[in-house]
Amino acid sequence: MTPAPLLAVRDLSVRFLLPGGRRVDAVSDASFDVAPGECLALVGESGCGKSVLASALLGLLPANARTAGHAHLGDLDLLTADERTLARTVRGRRVGLVPQSPAAHLTPVRTIRSHIEETVARLTGVRGRAARRKAAEQASLRAEFPLDHLDRHPHELSGGLAQRAVTALALIGGAPLLLADEPTTGLDRDLVDRTVDELRRHVDDGHALLMITHDLAAAERIADRVAVMYAGRIVELTDAAAFFGSPGPRHPYSRGLLEALPERSFTPVPGLPPELGSLPDGCAFAPRCDRATDACGALPPFADSVACHHPVTAPADASHATRTPEDTRA
Amino acid sequence: MTTDADTADVRPAWRAHGTSRRSTHVLRLRACAALVTVTVLAVLLVPPLVQLDQQAVDLAAKLEPPSWAHPFGTDDVGRDLLLRCVYGLRVSLLVGVVAALTATVIGTAVGAAAGALGGWADRLVMRLVDTLSSVPHLLLGIFIVAMFRPGVWPVVISVALTHWLSTARIVRAEVLSLRSRPFIDAAVSGGASRWRVTVRHLLPGVLPQAGLAAVLMVPHAMWHESALSFLGLGLPTHTASLGTLIQGARGSLLAGQWWPTLFPGLFLIVPTLAVAGLAGAWRERINPRRRSELML
Amino acid sequence: MLELRAVTAGYDRRAPVVRDAHLTVTPGEAVGLLGPSGCGKSTLARVAALLHRPDAGEVVLDGTPVRGFRHRAPREQRTAIGVVFQQPRLAADPRLRLADLIAEPLRATGRRASAAERVRELADTVGLTPDLLGRRPHEVSDGQLQRACLARALSLEPRWLVCDEMTAMLDASTTAALVRVVEDYRASTGAGLLSVGHDRTLLNRWCDRTLPWEAVTAG
Repeated sequence: MTPAPLLAVRDLSVRFLLPGGRRVDAVSDASFDVAPGECLALVGESGCGKSVLASALLGLLPANARTAGHAHLGDLDLLTADERTLARTVRGRRVGLVPQSPAAHLTPVRTIRSHIEETVARLTGVRGRAARRKAAEQASLRAEFPLDHLDRHPHELSGGLAQRAVTALALIGGAPLLLADEPTTGLDRDLVDRTVDELRRHVDDGHALLMITHDLAAAERIADRVAVMYAGRIVELTDAAAFFGSPGPRHPYSRGLLEALPERSFTPVPGLPPELGSLPDGCAFAPRCDRATDACGALPPFADSVACHHPVTAPADASHATRTPEDTRA
Repeated sequence: MTTDADTADVRPAWRAHGTSRRSTHVLRLRACAALVTVTVLAVLLVPPLVQLDQQAVDLAAKLEPPSWAHPFGTDDVGRDLLLRCVYGLRVSLLVGVVAALTATVIGTAVGAAAGALGGWADRLVMRLVDTLSSVPHLLLGIFIVAMFRPGVWPVVISVALTHWLSTARIVRAEVLSLRSRPFIDAAVSGGASRWRVTVRHLLPGVLPQAGLAAVLMVPHAMWHESALSFLGLGLPTHTASLGTLIQGARGSLLAGQWWPTLFPGLFLIVPTLAVAGLAGAWRERINPRRRSELML
Repeated sequence: MLELRAVTAGYDRRAPVVRDAHLTVTPGEAVGLLGPSGCGKSTLARVAALLHRPDAGEVVLDGTPVRGFRHRAPREQRTAIGVVFQQPRLAADPRLRLADLIAEPLRATGRRASAAERVRELADTVGLTPDLLGRRPHEVSDGQLQRACLARALSLEPRWLVCDEMTAMLDASTTAALVRVVEDYRASTGAGLLSVGHDRTLLNRWCDRTLPWEAVTAG
C-alpha cells in the first residue's frame, strides 16, 4: 500500500465574489492526496484554476475569496488555520514553495548568500555568524547550488542557477511538502529537464511534491501520479505511467490535451474552455467533447480515477482510439 | 439528477478569509469623501447663500473666544472667524486647484515629450528640470511673486511654475517604462505613427499617475500659498486666505488667544488629510496588481 | 525574401547580443530558429520585424534594403511583417478591449470603416467567441489573450510572420490551435514565417527547416 498521505485535500472549492454579485468558481470539489516520496503533477491549461488551488493551500487568497472543504496537512487544516499559524509554523517550515519565476522571487539588490542566511536565521534558529554561514552553505549544497556563486546577485545567475537558489530557499525549513507552481515556465527544454530531475531527487529523498504545471513533458518526467484539471475540477487523477504510456488517459479532455503535443498528433482540442464565472450545470467539457450525449447534462461523479460519463475505458479501446496519424519526426 | 455541486453531501460551508481589514478601509474612505464634500460645498455655497459680510468689522467684539454667536470666535478687529475661514479656504482652494492643474498640464506635456522623444532632447529637458529642482521651491516661488504686484494670479503662477517639475519626472519615468513594453512594439509593427503611439498608447497609460500627482498637489499648493502669504509676499492682507489668516493671528497667539491660529490651521490640515486619503485609495484602485486580484 | 545579412545587434554597442547573423526566409517558407533562453534570439526576431535597429549589417525585405527601423521604417515595410510575442500580457495594451486590440493596426492605417467586419472575421479565425471581444486583457486567460495578439498580427495580412516564442506560455492544446491558425493563414496567403523558440520538438513539427542558433550567428 502507499504510505499515509502527507497532504489530504477533500472537496476543496474556491470561489471569488465579484462586484455586482457575480461569482467565479475557480476550484470546485478538488480531492487528492500527496504522500511522502511522491510527486503529484496537477496539469491543465492556463486559467483552469490550478494556481488558485496552490494559493489556497498557502493561505494566500485575496479578501474576496471564499473557500470550502478541507486540506489536511497532518492534523492541521490549511484552509481554516489563521494567518498567524500559517506564517509562523506552516510556510517554509511545513510547506516549501518553489515559485514560478526565480528572478521575481529574489530581491535584486541582495546576494544569494544573504537570501539564504536570512532564511536560515528565520526558519532554523541557528545563532552566530559562523554557524549561520555554515548552515547556508549546507543548504546551498543540498540544492546543488555552487558555493562560488553564493556572493552573486540574482541577475548574475543563469536561469538554471536561479532556479536552484529558490529551491535551496524552499528546502531550508525542512518542509516535508514542497509546492512547485509552474517551476519550468519560460525555461528551455534542457533546463526544464534539469530542474525537474533535481526536484525529483528531493522527492526521492522523501519529500512530497505537488507540482502545478501546464508542461506535460515536464509532468511526464517527474510525476508518480497526474491530476488533470479542467474548468476548476479535477477530471482525472491517475497513475503517471498509465496516463502517459499505456493505456493512456481515460477522460476525453486529458486525451485531447495529450494528443495536442507536437510529438503526438498536434491536433488541438476544438473550442475554448468555459468561463469559470458561468459554468454549465453538467459536465463542463461536454460542449467540446465528441463523446458527449444527453447524460452529460448532469455532473459526472468522480469514480474510478475519472469524472466522465463516457470515459475511454478498456486498454483495448484505448489503443484503438490513439490510432491517429502519428508523426515520426519527433 | 441534481444541479448542485455535491451529489449527496449538504451544501458546502463557505469560509471568508481576512475581511476585517476592508471594513475600516471603507469607513476611512467614506470619512475622507464626506470631509472633501463638506469642504467643497461650504466653499461653493456659503458665500452666495449666506448674505453675511466677512469683512464686517465689530470692534466691540474683538478677539472673542468661540461662542454660539461666533463658533470659531472673532479676530482682532471683531470679524467672525468661521466666515473668514470659509472665505479663506475658498481662496486657498482656488489657488491650489488652478495651480495644481496648470502644473500637471505643463509637467505631463514636458515629461511625455522628453520620454517619447528620448535622445538629446530628453537629456536637455531633464537636466533643466534637475537644475530647477535644485533651487528650493519657496525661494523660487518668492522670486516669481516678487516680479508682480501682490494678488491671486501671481501666487498661482508662482505655485504652478515651481510644482510641475515633480510631475514631469513622474510622467517621463512612466513613459520610459511603457515605451519598452512589447505592446508598443506591436503598435509600431501595426503601422502606428509616432503621434498615435504617444497619444493612444503612452499618454493614457500615464494619465492615472499624473492625475494622482495632481490631486496630491492640491494640498501642497495650498500650503505653498499659505507659506507665501505668511511671509507677507502672497496675497494682500485684506484678502482672506488661510495663510493671511494665520499670519494675522501671530500677535494674538502670543497674548494667549489660540482660536485665530487654530481654526485656520485646522482648515488647512483637515482637507489636506482628506484629499490625501482619497488619493491613496485611488492609487490602490489603479494599481494593476489589485486588478489581477483574481489570479486567473 | 526576408534576409538578415551580417546582423550585429544589442543594447550596448560594446557588448552586442547578436553577432554577425545570417538568415534567409523565402516566400511561403517556415523557418524555425532554435536557441536557448537568453541567447539573443528575441533581439534577432525584433530586428527581423524592423523593431530594433542593428548596430551593423542589413535587413533586406523583398529585395529592398531596409533603411530605417521602428518609426523610421516606411509604414508599408513595417506592416508587411506581423509579429507575435512571447508574453501576451505584456504585448497587449491593458486598457483596450480585445476587439480594439485586434482593430488597432486597422485603425492606425486608416482602415477604420472595414475594421468591425474584419475583427469579427479574425476572431472567428483564431477561435475567439464574440463575448470575449468585449473584455479587457485582465479578464481573459493567457491563451485567449495570445489568440487576440495573433489576430492582431494577421489583421493587415502581412507577407511575413515573426513569432517570438509565441507558445512558450501556453498549454499543449492552445499551442496546437495557434500553430494551426498560423499554418492555415500561410497556406491561404503564401506568407513566410520565422518562428523563434527553444522547443526542438515543436519547431521540427511546425517548420520546414529548423536552424540551431549556432548555425545562424558567429559566436
